[in-house]
Amino acid sequence: MPQASSISVLVVDDQLTMRALIRNALQQIGFKDIREAPDGEEALKNLLAKPANLVISDFNMPKMDGLALLRAVRSHPPIRQTAFVMLTGRADRELVQRAVQFGVNNYCVKPFTVQGLKEKIEQVFGQLT
Amino acid sequence: MTAFHHDDPERAIKVHVTQGESHVSTDPNVVMTTVLGSCIAACIRDPQSGVGGMNHFLLPDSGDGRRDGDAVRYGAYAMEVLINDLLKRGARRERLEAKIFGGAKLFDGLSDVGASNAAFAERFLRDEGIPIVSSSTGGVSARRVEFWPASGRVRQRLVAVDNAPQDVRRPTPPPMPAVASGDVDLF
Repeated sequence: MPQASSISVLVVDDQLTMRALIRNALQQIGFKDIREAPDGEEALKNLLAKPANLVISDFNMPKMDGLALLRAVRSHPPIRQTAFVMLTGRADRELVQRAVQFGVNNYCVKPFTVQGLKEKIEQVFGQLT
Repeated sequence: MTAFHHDDPERAIKVHVTQGESHVSTDPNVVMTTVLGSCIAACIRDPQSGVGGMNHFLLPDSGDGRRDGDAVRYGAYAMEVLINDLLKRGARRERLEAKIFGGAKLFDGLSDVGASNAAFAERFLRDEGIPIVSSSTGGVSARRVEFWPASGRVRQRLVAVDNAPQDVRRPTPPPMPAVASGDVDLF
């Protein structure tokens, strides 16, 4: 079983409040190596400079949205294996379908609970300790 | 030049925003309305593009009167939905400004639900760098709010709890200080 503390995470959201809430939820789950980026463009730069094991990304963001970030990650060989969980709104069914086409590993519907987010991550990595 | 008809009842298009909803418009004929007890309505707009919108939310209670992380995530999501819709309609994030209403303490009780809702909204907007250009929160009266998104004008009417719609009342309201319906404030 993988240890949450050994998995590095990049949180991508244009809202500072939401990034803080996601970070807080991840810390409750046991993650320790957590970085943040305010949009897809910054996230891609960040990942290329220092890869992460997991990206948790919002969809609606300026400059580069979550779907464009996902496509960029999958097209850069050094980081293409990065696990990618998309955060979506309730009405984003079509978005989820497109994200699946582009290789998203899972999605989590906002507003999420800590347990809900944990389950989504565990569906990708297996049960976390 | 765009004609503004917001005071013409014949041309006004009323959009009622209920709890859990948000609505965005650029139409000068649209007036968004809502009735608030302890809930909060954030009216956010970009004055330059004339895109404005209103949401209406209540942070869920964890059962013991506290607002935990899940409640705050719900509130942040309610704000995010409105802001994202504004941006999709042409608003610029750095130009957004907000007016907030609601968060009343309508009933005696251990927790002040309205105050925690208002505190959340104020903190969220401060953290996100969206200035609050006016607000009317707290107090002991329900509020009927009308918001013209294109101009940013807001009209608020305080409503005595006995005259408020059922959705802002508790089944057995305790005695309340008398507040006359009909007080109008412009924001």
